[in-house]
Amino acid sequence: MSQLELRSIRKTYPGVAEETLKGIDIDIASGEFLILVGPSGCGKSTLMNTIAGLETITNGSIVLDGKDISTMEPKDRDIAMVFQSYALYPTMNVRENIAFGLKIRKLPKAEIDQEVDRVADLLQISDLMNKKPANLSGGQQQRVAMGRALARRPSIYLFDEPLSNLDAKLRVEMRTEIKKLHQRLKTTIVYVTHDQIEAMTLADRIAVLKDGELQQLGTPKEVYDTPENLFVAGFMGSPSMSFIDVAVERSETGFSVAVEGSDGRMLALPVPDYLKSWAGKRVILGIRPEHVSQPDEQKRDDSMVTEGRFTVEVTEPTGPDVLAVIRLNDTDVQCRLDAEHPVEWGEDADLMFDMRKVVFFDPESEKRIRPQ
Amino acid sequence: MTDVVRTGFRPSRVAIYGLLLLAALVYLIPLFIMLVTSFKTPMDIRTGNLMALPTDWTTAGWTKAWSEACTGVQCEGIRGYFWNSFKMTVPAVLISTLLGAFNGYVLSKWKFKGSDLFFGMLLFGCFVPFQVVLLPMAATLGKLGLANTTAGLVLVHVIYGVAFTTLFFRNYYVAIPDALIKAARLDGAGFFTIFFRILLPMSTPIFMVSLIWQFTQIWNDFLFGVVFASGDSQPITVALNNLVNTSTGVKEYNVDMAAAMIAALPTLVVYIVAGKYFIRGLTAGSVKG
Repeated sequence: MSQLELRSIRKTYPGVAEETLKGIDIDIASGEFLILVGPSGCGKSTLMNTIAGLETITNGSIVLDGKDISTMEPKDRDIAMVFQSYALYPTMNVRENIAFGLKIRKLPKAEIDQEVDRVADLLQISDLMNKKPANLSGGQQQRVAMGRALARRPSIYLFDEPLSNLDAKLRVEMRTEIKKLHQRLKTTIVYVTHDQIEAMTLADRIAVLKDGELQQLGTPKEVYDTPENLFVAGFMGSPSMSFIDVAVERSETGFSVAVEGSDGRMLALPVPDYLKSWAGKRVILGIRPEHVSQPDEQKRDDSMVTEGRFTVEVTEPTGPDVLAVIRLNDTDVQCRLDAEHPVEWGEDADLMFDMRKVVFFDPESEKRIRPQ
Repeated sequence: MTDVVRTGFRPSRVAIYGLLLLAALVYLIPLFIMLVTSFKTPMDIRTGNLMALPTDWTTAGWTKAWSEACTGVQCEGIRGYFWNSFKMTVPAVLISTLLGAFNGYVLSKWKFKGSDLFFGMLLFGCFVPFQVVLLPMAATLGKLGLANTTAGLVLVHVIYGVAFTTLFFRNYYVAIPDALIKAARLDGAGFFTIFFRILLPMSTPIFMVSLIWQFTQIWNDFLFGVVFASGDSQPITVALNNLVNTSTGVKEYNVDMAAAMIAALPTLVVYIVAGKYFIRGLTAGSVKG
């Protein structure tokens, strides 16, 4: 059980003007599954490499269980890592791959054998032990790579996009397996991915990074429901949140924003009272596809739910539901509709806007407007 | 079935194979002449046809070349020089290959400031003509006390070969993913452990390329041998030259040919034994696996 603190980590590569990491602060609790997510080039892999000690930091400190490990060699940090390319030693068989780290650390042979067998049982790779990595499938290589990390029983596990080389089906299977493994072993895991679905499904907490800066740190639910800024809101969720430029108006029942469809039809959407101070000003309305759906009797009475009729521009059936695009205030807005009641593109459809979970952003700072 | 038969006898195919066969024959003729001549008696050579098979098969030419022929004033055959060449070639090949592997490892996986420039400059070594280094090298060997010794020749060949072997290994190791090195570092392996336990076992194909290349270069070298070695430490290429140029009485072509064959045999053997790795190593990396 180990706790990891990242304190204002800064990293500048020699000869590069801009900082790659601009002061990252994250506390990772013992047994926590933390996911670093962000677009390519956001610094997530660099951050992971600095934790592993494969790259040095320019400033700040990395503290593991109260001990500053910032300047230690990778081998002294008690950290194991699973790589995107698996990085199995091609000339060694599976057993030797898993045992390599233990042999280097000069453990007694009996102990090594016992540990390798334990890991092999855990990952169900006992029948592969004498094969070379080249003779394994992608999923099996992935397991061996995890086995190699597990064998040393390190304090922290690092996963660097471990699933991105697998095909879609296997990726979902391995995702479940990693989650099970974490629940069983209760290890501290830092996991890098650019796949926000992976982040949502696996993480205890998600750290969203962009341009070397931490955008938001929170549980998947927090990040999804209350994104700190436009970037996080747009990055998390698939299909992503739609952003509509609107003006806040005072109405007889409270506050509302007006949206205009592509056919000129107007609709006033109710907004919460905390936008009081924004009355008369423009804000950005963030609405997720599931907040625009076909009318539902049970929701109709809520004061924050309203209905309107708009022209559907595009439909994309996904199986369980149909994604439809309508245009509001000259912006494409994604709606998640019931597949049982199909709508054709070009037709008008009755839509229900559930405004209880929508979010608003300050167009200047792009930060979310918080309820007071 | 009929398809196979038809394509097998298409005129264009016949023409191609015919031409290839002809080319192969042309290249084999000198070898053939050398071989048959080496087994002939001097009488046979003088009276018979160049291309004809020996009327009396005899190994006299071979035994004379090996142990009795005169190379200058001495008449002990090329036996001693053959072993000289081995004593020079084997250490020079091994040392230059190991050094190249090590250089390649550092230049691809442990880059330092200016390492690319360093590598670029090292590559110039591949283009420096032998003649350019003769005088400075002679002076250096003299100062080191290695003039006219086998050790001196080994040193010269190692220095000359390192540019090539480094190039081979560096380009081979560049294609190996860095994640492998990172994984090994996290597993606790250090600089040398990674080299000896992870990278070297993966290097068989490029090792073979380096071994064949260096062996051929060093074994066949004449210029360094004739300049930096004298008398007892001369390599076989120099001895062969002396043997052929020593004229006492009648020219013994059978002995000359046998001596030339003996001098060429080791490189032939190396090609036959390690040839398949040579092709594999040269094409490694061209197909992403």
